[in-house]
Amino acid sequence: MKLAATLLALLFCSPALADCPLDLGRGTGWVVFSNHYMLAFRSDPLRIEAGEPFALVLNVCTKAGRPAELVAVDAQMPEHRHGMNYRPTIVSGDNGRYRAEGLVFHMPGRWELTFDVRAGEETERLTHDIILK
Amino acid sequence: MTRIALLLVVALLAATSVGQAQQLLAWTADEVDSVRRHGPWPPPPVRDPSNRVSGTPSGALLGEHLFNDARLSGDGRISCATCHQAGREWSDGLARGQGNAELDRRTPTLWNVGYLHWFGWDGAGDSLWGQSIRPLLDPREMNGGPTRAARLLRSDPQLACGYEKAFGERPGDDDEKLLVDTGKALAAFQATLVSPRTSFDDFRDALVVGDRERAARYPLAAQRGLKLFIGTANCNLCHLGPRFTSGEFGDVGIPFFVRPGEVDSGRHGGLGRLATSPFNLLGKYNDDPTGVSARRTRHVQRQHTNFGEFRVPGLRQVGRGGPYMHNGSVLTLEDVVKHYSEVSPDRLHSDGTPIVRPLALTKEQSADLVSFLRTLDAEVPPRPAAPPLCP
Repeated sequence: MKLAATLLALLFCSPALADCPLDLGRGTGWVVFSNHYMLAFRSDPLRIEAGEPFALVLNVCTKAGRPAELVAVDAQMPEHRHGMNYRPTIVSGDNGRYRAEGLVFHMPGRWELTFDVRAGEETERLTHDIILK
Repeated sequence: MTRIALLLVVALLAATSVGQAQQLLAWTADEVDSVRRHGPWPPPPVRDPSNRVSGTPSGALLGEHLFNDARLSGDGRISCATCHQAGREWSDGLARGQGNAELDRRTPTLWNVGYLHWFGWDGAGDSLWGQSIRPLLDPREMNGGPTRAARLLRSDPQLACGYEKAFGERPGDDDEKLLVDTGKALAAFQATLVSPRTSFDDFRDALVVGDRERAARYPLAAQRGLKLFIGTANCNLCHLGPRFTSGEFGDVGIPFFVRPGEVDSGRHGGLGRLATSPFNLLGKYNDDPTGVSARRTRHVQRQHTNFGEFRVPGLRQVGRGGPYMHNGSVLTLEDVVKHYSEVSPDRLHSDGTPIVRPLALTKEQSADLVSFLRTLDAEVPPRPAAPPLCP
């Protein structure tokens, strides 16, 4: 968590990202990179509980610091090869941020979040693991 | 002589204390954290924002009277309490429910039902009030028809008075609204049914605060069973939290067939019924203006894997209930443990690491697991009759 906060702070200081701030407030969250994209997100509420609905607040940028589009969010448990019982919906909010509503991790264990992002023609899938106790 | 006797008592107490302290197994920090997650108990009272009389004494009292009123059924013989009996852990002790006809599923207990988010074995209800309407209308259960509840609320002076106290107005002409309000009063009552604290709760609280002496009063067999439950047996993947359930659904290898050629599709069918119900949380009868209470309903998705899935039951008072599983096909708690010990992986057709797998428990481990489960039971004092609605 501290590492993620530090990354957020570093990214926020970068002049290239002035139009695409990855700081989502609240001093916490995760940052995910690929060759072309960066994505910052935090959960709402901040603590994810097994069986309880939560949302994700996200900001998606290209590596060049331009805003990118969030196309889809989903989650799976790779070990058990099942997904969630719920399908999140994505709402585009102010400041280029997105809010994905309706996620529920219905059991403890490793969940792999997947984010489909796009800028122009190029779509890419970013992933991030969360271990839920 | 008195001093000698006193010294003997002190020595005896000290010896007992040492003996008890020796009965506490070694618990790792991770295990203590897992145990901690099964409490505290009881949870805060329920307040369902989709039901405007939830959490109100007048709503719960009206609901209790309606719960015991057989006039809500088509033939005047069956009330909610016929199948959900206070003296039988709010169930009936039968393998399959018996209303106007024998049903295909067991009558679920109502203990802690207010804390659920999906209702019925198949989750066809997304609120307790919506779920409470279903048996009133189902021809195989109470067969009350769509107007009976409304006529009863309007014609019975005591019920009409109780309705006015709960809802702030006299029963009106809208039969469907009064049917829904009947469900809401029934839900307000059922949400008050919270199971008592148990010896497990005493152990959990003591372990969390590091009170070894108090924790050591918990039987050794139960401690070993609990370690299995949160450890190698992985029961707490689904039976999690203070109520020992995720409130979601799973396929645990119980046959789907209800009779030759006919299957119970479980969650798959339940989600279909939910989507078409006029009483779901996306409909006009949801009292929650924020829409937050309908989040799960809005986002739930019906999947092929839902076929044959049934709701994970909570485990509080589990040893006092039974038969077990959604269809009452497993008679005793010992048989339930045996099922999970010997369940066929072929039947579960999982293509990943299976969540349910044969545990291959020894005789001693099975007995320990049962011992633990029985510490989730508590004696319940007899329930007094409900006070009059309008004395």
